Amino acid sequence: MPDIHANGARFHVQRLAPESADGTRAPAVVFVHGLVMDNLSSFYYTLAGPTVGAGAHVILYDLRGHGRSERTPRGYSTSGGVADLCGLLDALGVTEPVYLVGNSYGGFIAARMAVSAPERVAGLVLIESVCVGASASAWIEDMVNTLTAKALSLEYNRLPERLRAAGRRKIARLAAQADALLNGTSLIEDLATERPLEAAELAEVGCPVLGVFGERSELAGGADDLRRYLPDCTIEIVPGLAHTVLREATAPLRDIVMEWLPRREIAG
Amino acid sequence: MSSVFDEVVCLLIEVVGEDFLLDTEITPDTSFNTDLALESIEFVALSEKLQDHYGARVNLVSFIGDMDVDGIMAITVGQLVAYIESQLAVRA
Repeated sequence: MPDIHANGARFHVQRLAPESADGTRAPAVVFVHGLVMDNLSSFYYTLAGPTVGAGAHVILYDLRGHGRSERTPRGYSTSGGVADLCGLLDALGVTEPVYLVGNSYGGFIAARMAVSAPERVAGLVLIESVCVGASASAWIEDMVNTLTAKALSLEYNRLPERLRAAGRRKIARLAAQADALLNGTSLIEDLATERPLEAAELAEVGCPVLGVFGERSELAGGADDLRRYLPDCTIEIVPGLAHTVLREATAPLRDIVMEWLPRREIAG
Repeated sequence: MSSVFDEVVCLLIEVVGEDFLLDTEITPDTSFNTDLALESIEFVALSEKLQDHYGARVNLVSFIGDMDVDGIMAITVGQLVAYIESQLAVRA
């Protein structure tokens, strides 16, 4: 899959087709990863395989500025993320509604899309994501503070250079990417002006929603907010886990998502 | 060394760049994570290049289907080459 140009940027996209693809009109499943240190590989290695194995068409992409996608100076809000994803689907010729599976900030983008482009969304899976209520406000504030501190640290400690000098190529490159994203783009500024979805907006979401949270996650309040504002949603809590459900509880998460998606006739 | 091994090394160089690999002798025992320090997103890019090169016969998503992230990154070049060769033999 070549890079795809959409909404003014170049995106790294991976599409996986089921072996038995027969042209059925089953909705595609699009995976949306989290912020800064994340990229499409976190889903590629975990849920993408089982999903394509279940017969679905899978689309993974690196968010703007992440992974192998272009790092533009601006455009990192959830609204910008929705515009990017809509542009990507247009470029890929995907006109049918898709299932969105978002991890952390990727789930926030997915939920924003279900509100602002509901005709394009067949269903939502939100993994360790907050998007509405007090949990989302607190998460945004916490992320802005955390990322601002990280940006200062990267800039003043010259971490990428020091790691490179120590021969630690992989970590040096990740640090350099984080430095460029946090200190060279509007990401933190965009996040600081981000607002949670309004309760009234979320009430308009008509597609099925699955929320998955770690029992010990600091975002567990997000489960309560989803239940409060989306009473018809399905909530699953993974015992003993914190925020890193996708990486550390891949098997139970896969079972939860695979059990939920086919019920939505994902496999056509 | 097999032709598949040489082809994998060529594709690897396309992904990570020759400058880096000049410092590293790649053998079948070379691991993608420890020895090559390949980032997980680079392994995705390598997977794509392999599929472009060998076609649907080589399906890395199936190959790594039952592994966790750490297991995937611990794969050696030789294991990957052996998988590709087995797929090419089965479906030749």
